Amino acid sequence: MSKARVMIVDDELDFARTLASRLQIRGYEAHVVESFDKTIEIAQELKPEVVLLDLRLPGISGVEILMTIRQFCPGTEVILLTGHLNLEQTIEGVRLDSFHFIMKPFDIAELVQKIDALRRTNV
Amino acid sequence: MNIRRKLLIAFSIYLLLALIPAAFSYRELSAVRKRLKPVEAAGDITNSLLEVRKNERNFLLLKDSDSLQLFRKQISMLKGGIDDIEPDIVKEIGEKNYSLFRAMISRYEELVQKLADNFNAQQKTVASLTELGRSIEHKLPEKEIQTFLVLRRYEKNLIIYRDEASISTFRHTYARIKPSSAAELPIYASVAEKLYSLYDEEKAIDPEIKKTAAEIKTFTDSLLQVEREDIDALLAMSMNLLLLSLIAVIVIGAIINIRLASGIAAPIRQIRKFAEQLAEGDYSQTLDITGAKELSSLAEVLNQMAVRMKDTVSSLELAIKNLHGKQGQLVEAEKLASLGRIAAGVAHEINNPLAIINEKAGLMQDMLELSPHFSQKPDFQALIDGIIGSVTRCRSITHRLLGFSRKMEITIELFNLNDTIRETIDFLKKEIQAKSSHIELNLAEDLPNIKSDKLQVQQVFLNLIKNAVDATPEAGQITVTTTRLDDGLVRVNISDNGPGIPKDVLKHIFEPFFTTKERGKGTGLGLFVTHAILKKLKCNISVQSEVGRGTTFSIDIPVNPPRAEEVAA
Repeated sequence: MSKARVMIVDDELDFARTLASRLQIRGYEAHVVESFDKTIEIAQELKPEVVLLDLRLPGISGVEILMTIRQFCPGTEVILLTGHLNLEQTIEGVRLDSFHFIMKPFDIAELVQKIDALRRTNV
Repeated sequence: MNIRRKLLIAFSIYLLLALIPAAFSYRELSAVRKRLKPVEAAGDITNSLLEVRKNERNFLLLKDSDSLQLFRKQISMLKGGIDDIEPDIVKEIGEKNYSLFRAMISRYEELVQKLADNFNAQQKTVASLTELGRSIEHKLPEKEIQTFLVLRRYEKNLIIYRDEASISTFRHTYARIKPSSAAELPIYASVAEKLYSLYDEEKAIDPEIKKTAAEIKTFTDSLLQVEREDIDALLAMSMNLLLLSLIAVIVIGAIINIRLASGIAAPIRQIRKFAEQLAEGDYSQTLDITGAKELSSLAEVLNQMAVRMKDTVSSLELAIKNLHGKQGQLVEAEKLASLGRIAAGVAHEINNPLAIINEKAGLMQDMLELSPHFSQKPDFQALIDGIIGSVTRCRSITHRLLGFSRKMEITIELFNLNDTIRETIDFLKKEIQAKSSHIELNLAEDLPNIKSDKLQVQQVFLNLIKNAVDATPEAGQITVTTTRLDDGLVRVNISDNGPGIPKDVLKHIFEPFFTTKERGKGTGLGLFVTHAILKKLKCNISVQSEVGRGTTFSIDIPVNPPRAEEVAA
């Protein structure tokens, strides 16, 4: 089984690119998208298996992005990466049945484990 | 007595004071009026008497029948006037006086009658004298006639002058005449004597009439005088009475007014003083008013009002005190909530750069692992471990802070406290085993299920039991006890036989970022978060510690959930 295609959506480019490098070292095909406008377009082109999504992007709420990704890329799993998770967002996430999240900062091994687990369930 | 009755009585007294003199005056005035009638009657009689006297003078002057007739008419009018006097006036004058008066009048009339009779007799006598003279003249001889004519002249003188000189001259002349001359001559002389005696009689009656008339006049005058004096006395008395009653009205009225006014004003002053004391917040006074019924019942109502005011004020004071307490709690809760928000914001802002550091260090490590021939690999590895270790420490702080802010939200559910404690022990299995700690559970079997935020209560137990494990040395003893208290509370005691907490430390243990653990081991947020959660859930936490003996945390949890509005705060 080849390594998964992962798309990182985060406006913090320094973080996103470093994370992408580390995932690439571990054999993942990792792409960085820094703004939401391009997210759907690139997602439809790349067809990533997992999207790592920062819940707080400028100009739009993470929950909205989550719903849009669900709509346009039905097979794609989303893991929320966030430095801040308040209760409303948690409840909203649970309601959208996409409650996978890792709080920043995290251990890369934890993330890799989660990505692989999601991919296995999807396959 | 009530004010209304007092005023009525005062008014009645006034009325009486005015009525009594009025009645007296009325009586006096009617007496005066009664007395005026006899005065009028006396006046009438006086007038009538004056008429009589005038006619009397006329008659006495003229001595003719016309004036006599007029005179008599006046007398009868006077008599009629006296007879017409009303019996009550007669009584007023006095029966004795009246009859005396009548007797006087009768006497007067008698005298007048006598005078009239005399007057008639005179006329007849003069006529017969003249007749006799004339017949004697014819019968006398020539030589005697001369002397007789002289006598006749003296006869005329007698009739005109009526005096003693005339009759004596007549007698003297008659004596000179021879008695035999005429048989009728002595008769003539005796008639002349009779005339003279009539004249004499008239002279005697005249002053008597005048005297009687004067007496009558004096009598009526005196009567009139007496009546006038009586009336004067009555009027004076009436005036005095009026003056007296005026003074009485003024003096008694003033006394009554002053007493009445002070009887009403004094209790009102008392009431005013009482009200002022109430206004100043002195509720200890009692108003005691006797007298006017309206005012005493007002005093009663005011006393009741004071009692109620006292109660109300004290309950208000209590309410304000409670409110202050509640306000303090609210402020405290608000402080915690904003602290939570700030903590969350700070944590989030730190987490993002922390993630970058973490990933960069991670990438460095990845790269280090991919370079097997790098000579300083162990040194670099140590450096990277240091960076990642620090990031992990930071992360534990920020995650706690985020957890704290999240813990300010409450989800109520029904759960068994004993089960939750067992679960918590289970979570901490690793740590407990690592230190070979002995956990003793004394859980009350009759413990009711409680309604609260299970996860947060569990977080509290987790913090406290983990602290106990950390605080005790190897193979330390930790005891968890649950007890059902009376008033709807359940108590959980978590005790350890660790070193205990010194007193100066004990008072700071619930403050944020306060820790006694060595650097890097504790965040200083555990007990702060615990305290904040318990406050939010209306639980009470207390701590007892003795250096060298150990520490016990006691938590009282209400069986029923805190009320919604209190939680929302």
